[in-house]
Amino acid sequence: MKKKTVEDSVEQQAYSPAKSSWIAFGILCVMAFIVLIPLFWIFISSFKVEQEVIQAGGFLYLPKTWTLDNFKSLLSADNKQLPIYFWFVNSIIVSGSQTLLAVLIYSMAAYAYAKLHFKGRDIIFYSVMFLCSFPAITNIIPMYKMMHLFHWLNKPIALIIPGLAGIYNIFLIRQFMMAIPDVILESARIDGANEFRIYRQIVLPSCKPILVAVGLFTFTGSWNDFLWPSIAINNLDRLTLTAGLQLAKGVYGNKVPQMSAIATIAIVPMIILYLFTQKYFVKGISLSSGVKG
Amino acid sequence: MAGMASKKKQKVAPYLFLAPHLLMFLIFFLIPMVYGIYASFTKWDLFSSPRWVGIQNYTTIFADKDSTFYRQFWNGLKNTVVFVIMCVPFQVLLPLIIAILLDKRPKGRNIFQGIFYMPTLFSITSVTLTWLFVFNRSLGLFNHLFGTDINWYGEQPWAWITIVVTTVWWGLGGNLIIYVAALSGIDRSILEAASLDGATGLKKFWNITVPSIKFPLAYTIVVSIVAQFNIYGQPLILTGGGPSESTFVLLMYIRNLAFGTGKSVAGMASAMSTCLGLIIGVVSVVQLVMMRRQED
Repeated sequence: MKKKTVEDSVEQQAYSPAKSSWIAFGILCVMAFIVLIPLFWIFISSFKVEQEVIQAGGFLYLPKTWTLDNFKSLLSADNKQLPIYFWFVNSIIVSGSQTLLAVLIYSMAAYAYAKLHFKGRDIIFYSVMFLCSFPAITNIIPMYKMMHLFHWLNKPIALIIPGLAGIYNIFLIRQFMMAIPDVILESARIDGANEFRIYRQIVLPSCKPILVAVGLFTFTGSWNDFLWPSIAINNLDRLTLTAGLQLAKGVYGNKVPQMSAIATIAIVPMIILYLFTQKYFVKGISLSSGVKG
Repeated sequence: MAGMASKKKQKVAPYLFLAPHLLMFLIFFLIPMVYGIYASFTKWDLFSSPRWVGIQNYTTIFADKDSTFYRQFWNGLKNTVVFVIMCVPFQVLLPLIIAILLDKRPKGRNIFQGIFYMPTLFSITSVTLTWLFVFNRSLGLFNHLFGTDINWYGEQPWAWITIVVTTVWWGLGGNLIIYVAALSGIDRSILEAASLDGATGLKKFWNITVPSIKFPLAYTIVVSIVAQFNIYGQPLILTGGGPSESTFVLLMYIRNLAFGTGKSVAGMASAMSTCLGLIIGVVSVVQLVMMRRQED
């Protein structure tokens, strides 16, 4: 910790006039505090016994008696009303497989749009772009019917496959691929490499940052999807975490400690994921807005 | 001969790369979309086959003032638009202010950015569960900290305030990162030259900063509008659409009509979602044009 502060202050001197940066620091501290309060509050509340919350009305103090009971009862296998274990596993299966498929399918399409020459390429690309800019709301009702016909309702596949239809991420990967010099691909072609080899051995490795970003976007998007899973899945055990947790209010009502524990369980995995992948998110978002970060 | 074969392969290869995605797009986007528009001209209960009724659903929505569908559509649309208007200015201004502060290169810049971005990754249910009790009347944090007795979910404007605060908190990060990147792209020597010429902070901001981040600013406004038109989860979980349906948004009505407990009126719901889709579509086309322009 000590070392970090020293480094920061060196960086500080190198960059900017100190005064305005200290004012900014002060304001940012206040704002960050406000942003963090709800998280801090549910976190400490999730370790409290209910009596304490009711008596003191949920103030921002640490629990007098720390308890893990809220988590234990939530995560126990006897919790038939909110089978969080199942939901968690379902979410991982759905989001994980959608992410793998998305990166594969999107990068293939992006390669064709960015680097291959064929008839109607740009017309196809911009037509799909245009159509995809219409919102998916109109699709949800027929999609439900389609899942019914496919016998996919209540199955993970209904949450995995339809989500792969969009083109936005292809646009991002394509932007990135266009920066690869044609000369490299051309010389590989002259050496007799076919397109699949070029795609796998040259194009994919050089697109790693954007592929990771697209993978993370897909994973979190799928993990956080709410409307579609709550329509396509009726079976309690087969819901995803995001869709399932809306039932918590009906089960626990005004029990602050349990509800806080639920929110904590839902949030902590995302915080952990974020800690490890922050720079890819930042890079991906900057790319998508067209400014160089 | 071999040359011919490989030439042919060259011609087929692009379509092989495109096929998986184009197939997905056709089956899971285009066909449902076309069918959804078709269904809006029918009477349909989701399970028997739809019966063509022409523009009857639309005339009900637009002209039949006694119909519940008319009331639901206009109430839902009004509430959705009210939400967009209340939410988007904050979603643009707050991240912009934070980005300007971060641009002063304060200590712990990356940590601050990380904190403000983090909630963006949470799901709608975890975000609403986090805020649900902050605004609870008797057990809630806010009323206790400030000694108030506000009936957050039961009275207006408090119900809207809870929804907007929750949404702004949730979505701070996306726009923030775009602004931070845009601001760091401004040539500092121009700003310094302006200061030497005696330009003050606000003047510099309007004359130099705003014009040079014009494009990302416009982009984020459009994206935020499109995103907020799709509002659904926040009112559903926080207020349940209340008090007296004043936060009942259009998607909630559409969902209830198509998949609610009663007999499905999927044709009517399709007509409503087609209207909402058209509105969002117009905004999205603006976004698409902007993305193309950036490419050239």
